[in-house]
Amino acid sequence: MNVLKNKNIPRRTFLHGCGAALALPFLDVMHTRGASASAPKRVAFFYVPNGVAQEAWHPKETGHNFALSRTLQPLEPVRKKISLFTNLDRVKVPGTDGHAQAGTCYLSTAAPDELSPAGYPIKRTIDQIIADTAGKTTPFRSLELSCNSFTDNKESVYFDNISWYGHGHVARSIKDPRKVFQRLFNVKEHQANASVLDLVRADAKDLKGRLGRLDRHKLDEYMDSVRTVEQQIERITKQQVDANELGIEQPEKLWTSMRRDEYIQVMGDLMILALQTDLTRVSSMMVAPERWDTPLMFEDVFAKPILHHGWTHNQRNEKVLSDLEKLDQFYMRQFSQICQKMDAIKEGDGTLLDSMMFTYGSGLSSGMLHECSNLPTVIAGSAGGQLKTNRHDQHAKGTPIANLWVSMAQAMGCPIQKLGDSTGALKGFLA
Amino acid sequence: MKRLIAIILIAVLGQALGQAAERFDFHTIRKPASTAVQGVLEGEFLQASGRARPQGMSGFGAGWSGDAHLLWDGVVGDSNTVEFSVGETGKYALAMRWTLAPDYGLFEVRLNGKVIESKLDLYSPDVRLAKLRELGELELNAGTQRIEIKLIGANAKASKYQKKGYLYGLDYLKLTDSAPKPVKVEEPEQAVVVKVDFAEARALMKQHCFRCHGAKKVKGKVNLEALAKRSDVLKDVELARHAAEALAKAEMPPEDEPQPAKGERAKLAAFFEGVVDEYVSANTTLEPVVMRRLNRYEYNNAVRDLLELRGDIYPLPEKVIRSSQYFDPASGRMPAGVTVGNRTLGKFQVERQILSGVDPFAIDLQAEHGFNNQGEQLSIPPILLESLLKLGRSIVNAKEFDDYTALRDTIFKDNGKPVAKRLRPFLERAFRSPVDEATLARYTAFHTSEQKRTGSYTTAMKSVVAAVLASPKFIYVVESKQGAGEKTPANDYELAQRLSLFLWSSIPDEPLLAAAREGQLRQPALLEAQVRRMLNDRRSRALSENFARQWLRLDQLITAVPDFDRFQVYYSRIGCEQWKFGLQTMVEPLLLFESVQVEDRSIMLFVDSNYAYRSDELQAWYNKPEAPFGNRGNRNRFNTFTQPFRKRQLTTRREGGVMTTAAVLTMTSTPLRTSPIKRGAWVATVMFNDPPPPPPDVVPEIEADDAAIEAKGLTIRERLKQHATDQSCASCHARIDPLGFVLESFDPIGRWRDQYRGGRDIDASGKLFGEAEFKDIEQFKDAILARPEKFMRAFSEHLLSYALGRELKVTDKPAIDRITRRVTADHGRFSTVVVEIAKSMPFRHKTGQNERK
Repeated sequence: MNVLKNKNIPRRTFLHGCGAALALPFLDVMHTRGASASAPKRVAFFYVPNGVAQEAWHPKETGHNFALSRTLQPLEPVRKKISLFTNLDRVKVPGTDGHAQAGTCYLSTAAPDELSPAGYPIKRTIDQIIADTAGKTTPFRSLELSCNSFTDNKESVYFDNISWYGHGHVARSIKDPRKVFQRLFNVKEHQANASVLDLVRADAKDLKGRLGRLDRHKLDEYMDSVRTVEQQIERITKQQVDANELGIEQPEKLWTSMRRDEYIQVMGDLMILALQTDLTRVSSMMVAPERWDTPLMFEDVFAKPILHHGWTHNQRNEKVLSDLEKLDQFYMRQFSQICQKMDAIKEGDGTLLDSMMFTYGSGLSSGMLHECSNLPTVIAGSAGGQLKTNRHDQHAKGTPIANLWVSMAQAMGCPIQKLGDSTGALKGFLA
Repeated sequence: MKRLIAIILIAVLGQALGQAAERFDFHTIRKPASTAVQGVLEGEFLQASGRARPQGMSGFGAGWSGDAHLLWDGVVGDSNTVEFSVGETGKYALAMRWTLAPDYGLFEVRLNGKVIESKLDLYSPDVRLAKLRELGELELNAGTQRIEIKLIGANAKASKYQKKGYLYGLDYLKLTDSAPKPVKVEEPEQAVVVKVDFAEARALMKQHCFRCHGAKKVKGKVNLEALAKRSDVLKDVELARHAAEALAKAEMPPEDEPQPAKGERAKLAAFFEGVVDEYVSANTTLEPVVMRRLNRYEYNNAVRDLLELRGDIYPLPEKVIRSSQYFDPASGRMPAGVTVGNRTLGKFQVERQILSGVDPFAIDLQAEHGFNNQGEQLSIPPILLESLLKLGRSIVNAKEFDDYTALRDTIFKDNGKPVAKRLRPFLERAFRSPVDEATLARYTAFHTSEQKRTGSYTTAMKSVVAAVLASPKFIYVVESKQGAGEKTPANDYELAQRLSLFLWSSIPDEPLLAAAREGQLRQPALLEAQVRRMLNDRRSRALSENFARQWLRLDQLITAVPDFDRFQVYYSRIGCEQWKFGLQTMVEPLLLFESVQVEDRSIMLFVDSNYAYRSDELQAWYNKPEAPFGNRGNRNRFNTFTQPFRKRQLTTRREGGVMTTAAVLTMTSTPLRTSPIKRGAWVATVMFNDPPPPPPDVVPEIEADDAAIEAKGLTIRERLKQHATDQSCASCHARIDPLGFVLESFDPIGRWRDQYRGGRDIDASGKLFGEAEFKDIEQFKDAILARPEKFMRAFSEHLLSYALGRELKVTDKPAIDRITRRVTADHGRFSTVVVEIAKSMPFRHKTGQNERK
């Protein structure tokens, strides 16, 4: 195609996720224009659906001298900057689908008996709670991404989102990298939204008197969104990080025609860009939705489209198990590559990765029986030196993962002592 | 002779079903052709001979019905015929609308041999529509009518077409039944319910239930022994409802347990029914509906209708069929052939922009049990508000907009009248409610300030419209809860909004708002008249595009990936998996749905129809699976833009209805084999509205490839049986699997097979509702047709849930019972389902949201 014909390629770079550690070309620009002496702390989540093959995932040894397991091998280049946590659990609540609950409630801060009307223990998720504090000054309080390229409507909203403002109020993720790019960098578009906000707010106030109790909650969501959009406009105008100055252009290729690895890496690049330019300090991405029994192509990993979910229930079969491990490794490679890109970005004395808690996780441990105990958990980065890294902490059996959320919130500066069924902060989390 | 065979057939069928009654032929339910109000027959879709062909007229301006007409040319003396048919003998008023042009001729027109126009001059110096020609009342016999149109000369000023002849253009025929016979539905007496007292019921439970659902053993968390008196049962009405259903469908006691005698089963079911009825008569509070926003599809339709646009604002992948001109419910007939594009083919149909710079917001997923119009997931997070703000702006500012809206010369143009006066009706329509002075003043002031800022009336009006499109009053489906009790009649504006969302997925039009203003909608007869008018409007296409697609779960086909090597026929050409030929199979069940809707046929045709709409390739897919593309080989086997689908009379009852369409059978298979569990769950959910509970944590490991199963000497049915022996799985699988096994006669992409690839015979036999044995799909369909109220109830429940935008609860049972009775009495006529839903108590009432529970 001749899309490139009239472009000045050396100066401008298209986002395309292929290749290992893609050197982002505008680092210096950002470094000089951007951050103050101390880099802000950031948190991001990398969610893998359907659990992982257990045997190959968990390292045998604990402490500093653990050997990377088969699935964790791709983390070798960043091993000095990661921490592993095992024996962290979620409580599974009967009555809703195992996969829907795994995705929706992974980051939930509800106790197991705090059920939403739809039957899920879902309440404002930990990323949003952190964003309440960490997002106070950034243009975007948080950024939700999803690499869900399925074009059918097979599953409900619960399979497709891990971030929620509250029950029934999903923090919708963006699936199209171009839309992410436009949202982050098209300042003019944001500013144009300002003119009608007063008008629609007045309409909302009008409605309030006519509504019932439940309706008013819905309208409050609208009012919150109006406020948020207003703040975004104000802050992004102040910050004026404009794609034109960065010399970077939106992904050239349509997301629907991207390879699997390319898609995940482009989303990873966008997440990095947003964090690096301090457009946000909180982000999450799903590498694929939960269950969604629809075959999906993983180029160069499998010759034909595969059914991840189906495999997880069939892992007593040796061939299936080994394929499943290959898939787990694929996702781990993607995670590792994003870590490496973060680590290549210098900030002050450290790197972007150092300022992060970039968390790899899944709402299921083994997909075979929809188990929620011993969830696979890796955190890359040290939140600005607060975490010990290069270690494997094995916690007491049955430790609630909510303890980890409490600790992460604390590391991000939120003075939180308890969330849902937490029993305290996670032991030994901070250095 | 023929008649004798028919009698024998009926006798044989009757025997097979164990009953003597002759079964009703649901195909006899049909709207009389062209007798509807506005019975317009589009010229471009008429059966015409010779050189007649459709011509798109949108290039010549607005006004042509369907944006097209029928064009013919010939030399003086030539003639051609156009045919249509009427269902019943009677008096009809006929009118015709022609196109005028410089090279059009002088014609004589005869209807069935009788001259109705002796000198029809179609000359005009420019291309435009003629006035509608009223041709008076005519006596027509049922059947085909022939119109002969003969070129007899030309106006002196007319120029010749291609230097030799002249043309005509026929926009449409309009046929009105002068004496329509009222359709009368006799509602049967309410079924007599046998009163069964608690002691009797408990004795039966002790005998048949307590062993598994008693104090010693509590299977499925159901302990019936703990219910010591009738009031205990009343307290757990959901359990009573489940028990009644499980008994009626013979799911309980399980098949391998001793079965109660027929009378005993009926008694026990009647007991639980009685408890449920008692509960609902004492608890009439409706389930509250929480305010929700419009979903993506509704937003498109609402903007299209509010701004009177010529089409959609953005491409909707939700729309499977990409053409709409053929859809004309007022005509009462689906054309015998339709040429449609569909989302299948080429991404460009989905990704192209209609208005530059206008992007849809993200798709709204279906609710867990229901449709994408349930409030639970229709909230407005900041990111969506951003999209909505941008959308409103980008629509009015798109460079194509001025030519795309019919309002360019009205509201967007300064005519010197006060802005407030012009805005009032616009805001009333946008917000579906009377406009208060404060709101009007705000928007008027906004126009003033924008006009000052931009110096343009039009630009300022566009800003106002953009703001309207982002207002919560436009985006949310608002109903006033002020003073609303447990069961308060919805007001007229709210009813108008409910009706337009239900039938059009859009906002009310002016006639509907006028009816609301005049307080007509609270009167059932006038409400019904509006429903019938709306069903006759092309906008009712939304029922097919939005409801039917979701009801049938058709989206699931989009990403189905039959194995590329084993099912190459599914893909358009070797080496390119992107184009899936198989996706055009989605069109077949949807066109069946549309034909039932447009012709107002019986919904039982979704179970079994004697016709189907198929492309040539699709027809061969079923009938010549060895070479569906003839000698065209594997490359470029079909037009990737559109395909002609023709109505075909089916020769076997294996086909027909929705269950046996390739689309359904493919999307419920995995790449290398069928999945009787998925198929069974689909039939249970879609056909009987009895969705199985979420799958358990222990999901059986079944080989992905049926070759691996056959290598063990097993059929998939035998393989699944091994799994279902586990007691905890048995009761669910006993319910789901047989509904899937019956479809084993169809391979993973929906083609008939007598044997598995390994040579084993297919076993499709089973039992429906514990009483009707069947050997194959034909007998299975017969079993459903013999109990039509089961499917009619399920379909009515689906449609009511869609109409209300919420899940149904036990308190909706009286309404469902009533709808089902009336629909059954009318043999499942489509419009009866819709009308009865619109007139039902839950549709016409709302519930307050005061503190409860």
